[in-house]
Amino acid sequence: MSDSGARAGDGARKGFIKGPQDFWGGVALAALALFAFWASSDLPGMRGFSFGPGTAPRLFAGLLLLLGIAIAFTGLMTDGAGLQRYHFRGPFFVTIAVLLFAFTIRPLGLVLTTFACFMIAAMGSPEQRWVQTTIVGIAITAFCCVLFPYILGLPFQFWPMFLIR
Amino acid sequence: MSEIVNHLALGFGVAVSPTNLLLCLIGALVGTLVGVLPGIGTIATVAMLLPITFGLPPVGALIMLAGIYYGAQYGGSTTSILVNIPGEAGSVVTTLDGHQMAKQGRAGPALAIAAIGSFFAGCVATVLIALLGAPLTKLALQFGPAEYFSLMTLGLVFAVVLAKGSVLKAIAMIVFGLLLSMVGSDLETGASRMAFNIPELADGLGFATVAMGIFGFAEIIRNLDAGAEQGRELVQKKVTGLMPTKADLIASTPAILRGTVLGSILGILPGGGAVIASFAAYTFEKKISKDPSQFGKGAIAGVAAPESANNAAAQTSFIPLLTLGIPPNAVMALMVGAMTIHGIVPGPQVMQKQPDLVWGMIASMWIGNLMLLIINLPMVGIWVRLLRVPYHLLFPCIVVFCSIGIYSVNNAPADVIMTGAFGLVGYWLIKHDFEPAPLLLGMVLGPLMEENLRRAMLISRGDWMVFVQRPLSAVLLAIAAALLVLTLLPMLKRKREEVFVESEN
Repeated sequence: MSDSGARAGDGARKGFIKGPQDFWGGVALAALALFAFWASSDLPGMRGFSFGPGTAPRLFAGLLLLLGIAIAFTGLMTDGAGLQRYHFRGPFFVTIAVLLFAFTIRPLGLVLTTFACFMIAAMGSPEQRWVQTTIVGIAITAFCCVLFPYILGLPFQFWPMFLIR
Repeated sequence: MSEIVNHLALGFGVAVSPTNLLLCLIGALVGTLVGVLPGIGTIATVAMLLPITFGLPPVGALIMLAGIYYGAQYGGSTTSILVNIPGEAGSVVTTLDGHQMAKQGRAGPALAIAAIGSFFAGCVATVLIALLGAPLTKLALQFGPAEYFSLMTLGLVFAVVLAKGSVLKAIAMIVFGLLLSMVGSDLETGASRMAFNIPELADGLGFATVAMGIFGFAEIIRNLDAGAEQGRELVQKKVTGLMPTKADLIASTPAILRGTVLGSILGILPGGGAVIASFAAYTFEKKISKDPSQFGKGAIAGVAAPESANNAAAQTSFIPLLTLGIPPNAVMALMVGAMTIHGIVPGPQVMQKQPDLVWGMIASMWIGNLMLLIINLPMVGIWVRLLRVPYHLLFPCIVVFCSIGIYSVNNAPADVIMTGAFGLVGYWLIKHDFEPAPLLLGMVLGPLMEENLRRAMLISRGDWMVFVQRPLSAVLLAIAAALLVLTLLPMLKRKREEVFVESEN
């Protein structure tokens, strides 16, 4: 994901790498395959004609390595699409909202977590109007607090731990 | 024949119970909603609703999830026609002629034909499932590990052949999926594989986790990039006169028939599904038309054929799942997840041991289609009004629902973190033009393939020839090889791309 070349894509640019999109995609997959090789290297392989736990992972990792190299090679040799633009705002706020949910749902309970998650995710779009978003956020929080614990009967705790005790 | 009647009677008996009727209605409505709203796909919705089905009886859960799948095919057509925005990938081609018809003031007939076509296709597909169910199950019972492995290989090859764009990249995505499925405990020895002593990984990567990340969050992030508010021009004119004219009916009847046949076939094939079916039906219709220039300018056949095809395919894709236990596409893969939650292992045994479950679901599909036909046409106005909900308010809701949904599968915060991470992986994949659907299929089939491969090798005492010596297995592999060769031939590859480019513009 951390391609250094996350620049604006323009297909017309002709460098040494003719199809950067494919090239970096292939390189990343190949790297991933090598990582999988390393990660599964401690597992026993074939014993006689029966598979060990490590056989299939290494088989698939090997295949992925070959495919990654092939894709990177195609990207190197043939004209292809340039790298697409990566945006920062959307991915950043959505990811933060999701992570926040994961870390606060246990200690802070459903009400606060849902509302905070909604508001932070909403920051991902530049078109927010705060009053409107806050109203919808409160409505959704109320809706979730009725739907999940009551109608669907899932075990959720509403308020922060420290308030209950 | 009487056997089929008995089966269907049993099925309808199960499906018309009040609870199941209600669940069928809910599924169909949620599906329509999802189909109408762009930015939420069927896969993400089914993944989101998986935890909700915990509390339901297994039949009810499956009836509801199935309703979402075919309901979405209906809903997608509505927005395609009225707003020129496909709410669902399967309805992309419907925009071409459907919206043109709406602009000409013929939105009513377009909607009606789409609904009638879908309903007809749904009926045919239901009968087809009933007809093919029993014989395929008998065949499946004769399958050994070698046959299963070969069949799954064929399925993956189909997924590659039918995927858009580069063959190499599609294969790479499948292998990536296979590799992801290896994380966790080894089935036979219990050895921990690639889990890095992280307890949350010991059970493997959750399928819903990956699906939701790659299809839910990644899709949202991508939409935010594009600035999703663009181009929502509603056809404001009131939809009047739903009835198609006689000429419309004459023009669309053969198209509906052809769309249904093509969709049914593509739905059964592994790797196929509703999206491919609608593209193929549109292209086919255009090819055989006497006046292809009419297409794209409001030809009613261009609405009838793809809409019938995607609905037929959405339903027939249940056939391989129910009879062979092999999910042919990503949505069906999630259905496997739903079944597993309820302790059902999909495959030939289900058909025999729990006939009420299988036939109840099949019968409910027909009922659901009827409901959609009745509900959808009068409710068009409401669905269209929903489209005015701006995306910048919609997407945080989806983020919240997805997070709660994933959390409640195992009550595990780690699952939510993992989903977020896979959202970024999915975003990266989209940016590099890798298709995520084959990845998901690979991930589902991975453990099944490994298990059968291991068994086959054990039985044959390590002789790889077993796959070509057993006749059924050899035939399946030969088909797979032939398909792959055909696709890899550059000549044909260019043609294949033309088909998609043509139908997308």
